[in-house]
Amino acid sequence: MTDVFYFTEMPFAEFPESEAEKYPSMRLTFPNTYFDPGKAHDLFKRYLDEYQHAEEMGFDGLMINEHHNTPSCMDVEVNISGGILARITSRAKILMLGNMLPTSDNPVRLAEEIAMLDVISGGRILSGFVRGIGIESWANNTNPIHNRERFEECHDLIIKAWTTPGPFRWEGKHYQYRAVNPWMLPVQQPHPPVWVPGTGSPETVEWAARNHYTYAAFLTPLDVAKNLFQRYREYAAEDGWEPGPEKFAYMVCSHVNETEEKAQEAGKAFLWRMNYPLRGPREYWSPPGYASRAGAAATAARRPTPLNELSYQELQERYHLVVGNPDSVTRQLRHIRDELGVGTLLLEAQGGQLSHEDTMRSIELFGKEVIPALKD
Amino acid sequence: MFLMRFTERAYVNYTREDVLNSPNEAVRLTFSNSHFDPQLGSELYNMYLDEYEYSEEMGFDGLMLNEHHNTPTCLGATMNLEAAILARITKKPKIVLLGNPLPIFDNPIRLAEELAEIDMISRGRLVSGFVRGTGVESLATNTNPLFNRERFEEAHDLLIKTWTTPGPFRWEGKHYQFRVVNPFETPLQKPHPPIWIPGTGSPETLVWCAERHYPYLFLETDHRGTQDMMEIYAETARQHGYEPGPEHFGYLVRIHVQDTDEKAEEVGRGYMEGNIGVGRVPLPRDYASPVGYGSASRDPRFLRLREQIRSDPFRVGGLDTAAYDDILASNRWIIGSPDTVVSKLREVLAQMRPGILAVWTNDGSISHEDSMRCLELMGQEVLPALREIGEELELTDPFQKAP
Amino acid sequence: MAAEFTEKIVEVGGQKVHMLTGGSGDPLVLFHGAGGNTGWLRYVQALADHYTVYVPSHPGYHQSERPEWLETIADMASFYTWFLEEQGLEGARAIGFSMGGWIASEVAATCRHAFSKLMLVGAVGIKPEQGEIADIFIISPAQVNDLIFHDPKQAPEYDQIYGQPPTPEQAEIAEGNREMAVRLCWKPYMYDPRLPGLLGRVNIPARVVWGREDRLVPLECGELYQQALPQSDLVVIDECGHSPQVEKPDEFVRIALEFLA
Repeated sequence: MTDVFYFTEMPFAEFPESEAEKYPSMRLTFPNTYFDPGKAHDLFKRYLDEYQHAEEMGFDGLMINEHHNTPSCMDVEVNISGGILARITSRAKILMLGNMLPTSDNPVRLAEEIAMLDVISGGRILSGFVRGIGIESWANNTNPIHNRERFEECHDLIIKAWTTPGPFRWEGKHYQYRAVNPWMLPVQQPHPPVWVPGTGSPETVEWAARNHYTYAAFLTPLDVAKNLFQRYREYAAEDGWEPGPEKFAYMVCSHVNETEEKAQEAGKAFLWRMNYPLRGPREYWSPPGYASRAGAAATAARRPTPLNELSYQELQERYHLVVGNPDSVTRQLRHIRDELGVGTLLLEAQGGQLSHEDTMRSIELFGKEVIPALKD
Repeated sequence: MFLMRFTERAYVNYTREDVLNSPNEAVRLTFSNSHFDPQLGSELYNMYLDEYEYSEEMGFDGLMLNEHHNTPTCLGATMNLEAAILARITKKPKIVLLGNPLPIFDNPIRLAEELAEIDMISRGRLVSGFVRGTGVESLATNTNPLFNRERFEEAHDLLIKTWTTPGPFRWEGKHYQFRVVNPFETPLQKPHPPIWIPGTGSPETLVWCAERHYPYLFLETDHRGTQDMMEIYAETARQHGYEPGPEHFGYLVRIHVQDTDEKAEEVGRGYMEGNIGVGRVPLPRDYASPVGYGSASRDPRFLRLREQIRSDPFRVGGLDTAAYDDILASNRWIIGSPDTVVSKLREVLAQMRPGILAVWTNDGSISHEDSMRCLELMGQEVLPALREIGEELELTDPFQKAP
Repeated sequence: MAAEFTEKIVEVGGQKVHMLTGGSGDPLVLFHGAGGNTGWLRYVQALADHYTVYVPSHPGYHQSERPEWLETIADMASFYTWFLEEQGLEGARAIGFSMGGWIASEVAATCRHAFSKLMLVGAVGIKPEQGEIADIFIISPAQVNDLIFHDPKQAPEYDQIYGQPPTPEQAEIAEGNREMAVRLCWKPYMYDPRLPGLLGRVNIPARVVWGREDRLVPLECGELYQQALPQSDLVVIDECGHSPQVEKPDEFVRIALEFLA
């Protein structure tokens, strides 16, 4: 049984891509004068329709994420979109991957928000926690040197707010509260499942394993993901438990269409998200202090070639992008699943300039042909 | 006249004894959340959303939401989430947020992003109200109450600049510092969504609103005092070269209708439950107004007004602590059959002349069934009559005439 | 005039502090900038011909340890009052460069007998009213170097300092220094709103030195420092960037010696 989740970053690709050449990056300082709220309204409507369609067609979960100061992801508040999905869908899990803990100045409010979504959705929230890429530290002006400390303290406070009856006090290093007692608490007990994404930071794998959280590898080559999962299993073994497939997920861009030819043509739309949105100065991605020295070394090792330097063909060969007819996509996704032993495949099935028609068609084919075949 | 529907979305499944046995006998802040049942919460949220959807059908121009923390009296702990849902599931009415408590936010940029996202999803239907938050909000979020007004004003200035000035730019303020203000998403409405400010009449806030042409919405204030406060607004407005009209003012009042006066008065008692306190337990003063939260102004005119607000017999410990019959007799709550409600409202509207009427249709222990019937009667009989009265009294609203 | 100095580790409050020292005469303490201790350069030696010069590496920089509680510039100032006491350097003359100017100012405002004379060079710490202090964390170290100099060609030691790519050890130290700067100066970025008010307490002679073409910290900040310090003057060096001590060492040393005498 493999669960398959639908995901889009809700990109805003409504300007000539070459404009990005004029700036250090398409993120952070790329002027928001390129933004058009009218077009964005249409896009939001479209992306939400697609999420609804994904539920109808049989995706097990809907994944959403959050970034700031970037056209590559219009969702700037994962709890806003999560709230909408909580109300307009009825069955699918809602995976928020995730809330950025270190940039949050008020973990109690975050605990309230997530609880509120869990309550509105009737207990369908999977609560992802992330450190946020370096750009989020800039956009929110949160000192990167405290990123991991704040991540951990914010996490501890949220979990305590969810599991310990209020009121209680919290006098931490980064957060202090005199009356932690949010009226809102989650439906799921003791609290919604926690997911953590990773692209290679060794501290994150260990942290996820120690806490028994689901670890999702993002756009990492299969061998690197395998290695990360192996470390997770080792930490678990040290602590005397054995993780099942539900503790592992893998995120991959994917497009399916009636024929191989059609799919290969339409799938090129994903090149947009692999290109400019992934470029930018080192300081944007990793401000001083953001990564530990060990983490920085691991990052350097994890992607021998940056994604934006890989050709369409190479992206597919390395399983960053799975494109094809239903048979071929099923075969490739099975291969990934079996190689990695993951319980959940997170499919970024809309990306870049992939049109509404192609997205809807692809969602339908995933639902009718690919997902049932992965349930073996 | 702009007619919007409101409820605090109460959670009422606890007893007077629960409250009396809690720290400081308070129903907010320290009333333990172990009294909360998320399963019931789940039912309630969806029920309240159903009611808002139905309010659109019944012809309300706006759907109003508010936000409070650590309290069963208002489930809107993060109102923007509900607003986002309404943005998607409704088509026509304005979504009126009264409002986001600015001082408790450490990141106004994120708030600007959230509101822009809601404005876009709703296709430009957002009305973005801002509040200082009650003292409980300061305590629940541990935000120093002494800086409440400063933070309110600085967060507001930063939000407006974020919405109206192309990024990236830097902000080095007293309470907020940002090095790359450049959220890619900006609101659909230009230059930005309308801003309305609700309150109970803090003179400093009235002056601040008048300087900015922001409509001010009075929350259940007494009729006489409200007119004095409108005068403070008007004086400032005149200093800035304009004469305020109904489009600059709103009024919130509990209005409940049922088929007969008897039925309405019986059901209306439900308002007494679960708002300021079950069984009308007043909040400790330190919760409502912690040290430093109140105004530092010693302007004699303001002091007089503040005294007047304080001595309002219906506000000592909260409007809800007064006797039900007295509240009805003074038209502070308007409860009855459609005919009764319309004729009482005509009086109130003629006296107060607000361009915006916030209709607090149900709360506390009023059942879903009674609420739905109330909304239905509103749609069939009350709203059409109010529209006529609005025309007749020339109660122009901010969408008919820019404030 | 041969460079003569010793490198040592001293202890302050149980923490190791890395320090260069040399020369003879009255004590003179130099406070380095956000990038780190640039070592015994030509201008330091010129000063050491007249004074006993001490160049400590700030806690968290180079081999100096950071006490766990030290997170801000104000913490740093408290640490340095301790340092001056323990090293018997109270009443020394002081020069603070860039971020080091901010630290020295905080020390002088906190403790009246810490220094006998205070000189600030391109100091951060006061928020400009018009311009902005360039954000050095959001650009690469190479871009920061470009901004430091008005004309690198007039800096006699430019090649000596920047000519060689750093060794892995040097790169590691530079990264650690940068992290420490981020810890101290992230937000509010490179200023403390209370500093101008506190500087009114400084009752020693002070001199503020600025490169007119400083592209990192606007000259306006120098003017604000001069206005805030009761017994101060402002000396502006033409055709010079953020680090006059490196870009125009001879002129810098002349201005410094004139003031320190």
